[in-house]
Amino acid sequence: MKKIATLSVVVLTMSLAFVSCDSKREPGKIYMPDMTYSRAYETYAEIDSSLFTGDQSMRGSSKIYYDNKPVTGTIKRGELFPYTLPNDSNGYKMSAMVKNPLDSISAADLKEAGRLFNINCAICHGEKGAGNGPISTSGKIGGIANLTLDNYIKMADGTMFHSITYGKNNMGSYASQLDRNQRWMMVKYIRTLQPKPASATDSTKTK
Amino acid sequence: MLILCQYPTLLLLPKKGNFPPYTVNCMSRFRISLNKALISFLLVFIFSASNQVFAADGEALFKANCANCHKPDADYTGPALKGWSKRVPNPEWIYKWVANPAQMIASDAYAKALFEKWKPTVMTAFGNLKKDEVDAILKYVDDYTPPVAAQAGANGASSGESDNSLLFGILTLVMAVVAFILLQVNSNLRKLTDEKEGIYRTEPIPFYRNKTYIMTMILILFAVGGYYTISGAIGLGRMKNYQPVQPIYYSHKVHAGTNQISCLYCHGSAQDSKHAGIPSVNVCMNCHMAIKEYKGDPIVREDGTNVNGTEEIQKLYKYAGWNPDTKSYNPDNNGDGTPDGAQPISWVKIHNLPDHVYFNHSQHVKVGKQQCQTCHGNIQEMPEVYQFSTLSMGWCINCHRESKVDFYNKESGEGNKFYSIYEKFHKDLKDHKVDSITVEKIGGTECQKCHY
Ligand code: HEC
Ligand code: HEC
Ligand code: HEC
Ligand code: HEC
Ligand code: HEC
Ligand code: HEC
Ligand code: HEC
Repeated sequence: MKKIATLSVVVLTMSLAFVSCDSKREPGKIYMPDMTYSRAYETYAEIDSSLFTGDQSMRGSSKIYYDNKPVTGTIKRGELFPYTLPNDSNGYKMSAMVKNPLDSISAADLKEAGRLFNINCAICHGEKGAGNGPISTSGKIGGIANLTLDNYIKMADGTMFHSITYGKNNMGSYASQLDRNQRWMMVKYIRTLQPKPASATDSTKTK
Repeated sequence: MLILCQYPTLLLLPKKGNFPPYTVNCMSRFRISLNKALISFLLVFIFSASNQVFAADGEALFKANCANCHKPDADYTGPALKGWSKRVPNPEWIYKWVANPAQMIASDAYAKALFEKWKPTVMTAFGNLKKDEVDAILKYVDDYTPPVAAQAGANGASSGESDNSLLFGILTLVMAVVAFILLQVNSNLRKLTDEKEGIYRTEPIPFYRNKTYIMTMILILFAVGGYYTISGAIGLGRMKNYQPVQPIYYSHKVHAGTNQISCLYCHGSAQDSKHAGIPSVNVCMNCHMAIKEYKGDPIVREDGTNVNGTEEIQKLYKYAGWNPDTKSYNPDNNGDGTPDGAQPISWVKIHNLPDHVYFNHSQHVKVGKQQCQTCHGNIQEMPEVYQFSTLSMGWCINCHRESKVDFYNKESGEGNKFYSIYEKFHKDLKDHKVDSITVEKIGGTECQKCHY
């Protein structure tokens, strides 16, 4: 009897210890902190560098992050060569001469391009490229280009690529969200959204 | 008389976890009337509990299959499903519709009219859903009531779940008191009748020294304490509902909800890498070069104070090293390759699996075609992100048991080509031995797939 009573008291206190003071602003209790908070390099994990150096004076101040970048100039296998024109008015003018390295695009790639367009661009330019995405119609950002207009039909592939790479006025750079190949695919996709007037015969090699 | 000792049973009724409901047999001398009361109580509980299981099933099916396009109570990509029974021509219509909408649109007048209204989206065909599964979904839809104030009000860590267990707890307590009073009344009555009949017994022991009572109390305490200890111990290291304070009050509700920005705009690497990634500051600046102030609906914190969106955007400019007056980045005088004063935002990481588990987003988002919301909840409705799932092993495994892989279809050439080499499964499918391939079948529950 006594034993059972003590045991139940123990159980109760244990349960209190586990259950009590849970705030959703705190990460909660863990066992094995070494496993939960990795000591190895992991993306987004921050590690107190004093764990490794033993330098207590650095405690908490110096953190190690895993944010290594590849060596400058590294080109991923199968990736297109870097785009070298500078981000200035001269570069913008010269970009008209740059050819789209993708001559033709397969149906599957075009579908993928459409998917990427809907994710990254349709929010402003609209799914049909007519400049009427949600951010545009709600008036949060002004001056969004209607890519189906004549001047964009006449615009060279290279110039579009240049603007997508570096941004232009209210449009930011998409170089961090789309790789070079994908940006050229974007240009091809925009061409399919544009109506095809008889005059504009150049640069519409999509089919 | 031997009856089931109800209390622990009720307390241990599983809500969502995987505990087998277990009952504790014990001897007690309860009177028949008490018995009846208890049993009817129990029946009510069993009934409501089993009902719940049924509804949960429907909920899971609904979320997995229909929630992309339908909401129970509001129009979405497809119509609000509530009240379907009053609209559709006849009850059988619904099964035919779910099995093959395209065919119905071609042949059925009501379906045609429906399609005209919702053009050009045609509903996906769900030929694989069985009749009772469709029933479960529709029952869920009909019983659906919108959650009250997005449970943000619940001050504790766990919301919906604990509410229910509290209810169970209180009911149990009430029942215990009632039982106790009944027993007391009973013994008093017996004493009276005994006295009348001239039978004299020894003075009864007061209840606080009565072994039966003490034993029962201890058993109850033990069961309650044991339950909380076990669930507490299992919960160690789980961070469900964790919602840290972030350096900028960045609202997913404003961005992904109201302004409909695709998750992949910011978390694009979910498609091709292990991590979904947190967007760098330049991604924010894509829009915030132009959006300087917040003019949307007021954002209210849980404590009732308002968030000053414009001020939060100013914080973002600080991190970016952007000068909103000149509309340009600060010059880079110190030569570190970033504008002066710019620094990365240290967002607080919410989801965190232990080191010994391998989880890959692209495997799930791109290959497995799972929705972000299945695992992360309705992020587009959260002003501040919290962890929606437990991220426990049981959670992973359960989904792997239920989810189907995008299996290659040899005739139509659709599906994931990788699975074209799984000869045995192709044969089984052909012989109708199995009707679908789950992740478990391709080995998704083997330890080394996740632990290595
Ligand atoms: C934040 C809203 C926004 C998003 C998202 C956006 N754009 Fe733009 N885009 C603009 C604005 C504003 C302009 C007009 C720039 C100007 O000429 O002032 C523009 C112009 C353009 C132009 C014409 C550039 C020129 O040289 O005149 C192209 C091409 C273009 N966008 C393509 C894209 C593509 C491809 C994407 C997706 C990767 C995209 N945009 C995403 C806002 C946006
Ligand atoms: C791809 C999006 C999509 C999915 C997924 C989807 N639906 Fe639909 N559903 C629609 C659309 C769109 C309509 C309107 C008719 C049309 O245009 O085809 C519709 C119509 C219906 C209707 C008729 C409603 C009425 O008002 O009469 C029912 C019932 C229904 N869906 C049930 C379901 C169920 C059950 C599921 C899950 C198994 C489901 N739907 C999944 C898009 C979808
Ligand atoms: C405009 C950019 C943006 C969009 C769009 C966006 N997010 Fe986020 N997301 C962020 C930022 C920044 C954070 C980090 C701050 C935070 O946790 O609130 C974040 C955090 C998260 C987290 C928590 C990460 C952690 O620390 O564990 C999840 C989960 C998440 N987002 C899912 C989604 C989903 C699902 C969608 C689509 C409905 C979405 N996000 C849309 C920018 C975005
Ligand atoms: C199968 C479930 C599942 C799906 C589907 C899923 N996630 Fe996650 N997500 C997780 C888990 C588990 C983690 C924790 C990963 C870790 O700690 O290693 C996580 C972590 C995250 C994080 C934190 C940063 C990181 O990458 O670790 C973000 C942001 C995120 N998810 C966004 C998304 C978005 C956006 C989608 C949809 C495109 C998505 N998730 C789909 C389960 C999922
Ligand atoms: C695709 C465009 C877009 C991107 C990318 C974007 N925002 Fe926003 N942001 C908006 C819009 C639109 C609003 C609402 C403005 C309004 O309603 O007046 C907004 C509002 C805000 C607000 C004020 C409301 C709130 O949530 O507190 C903050 C802060 C904010 N954004 C921060 C960020 C951060 C941080 C990032 C990067 C992770 C980011 N934004 C990326 C479009 C964007
Ligand atoms: C929403 C359902 C869901 C959840 C939750 C889920 N998974 Fe998965 N998982 C899938 C699907 C579907 C696939 C199959 C993808 C495919 O077609 O190969 C998969 C595949 C995998 C694979 C590859 C299996 C193989 O045989 O190649 C691993 C590893 C994995 N998941 C780990 C995890 C981990 C770890 C968790 C928990 C943190 C988790 N999953 C949670 C749905 C889920
Ligand atoms: C689908 C992925 C998956 C598979 C398959 C899997 N696990 Fe796990 N396992 C996990 C996750 C996720 C966790 C982390 C749970 C947590 O943090 O609470 C985990 C945790 C563990 C733990 C630590 C206990 C804990 O709760 O922290 C052990 C031990 C374990 N798993 C053993 C196994 C064994 C043995 C198998 C094979 C029978 C296996 N696992 C298969 C995903 C998986």
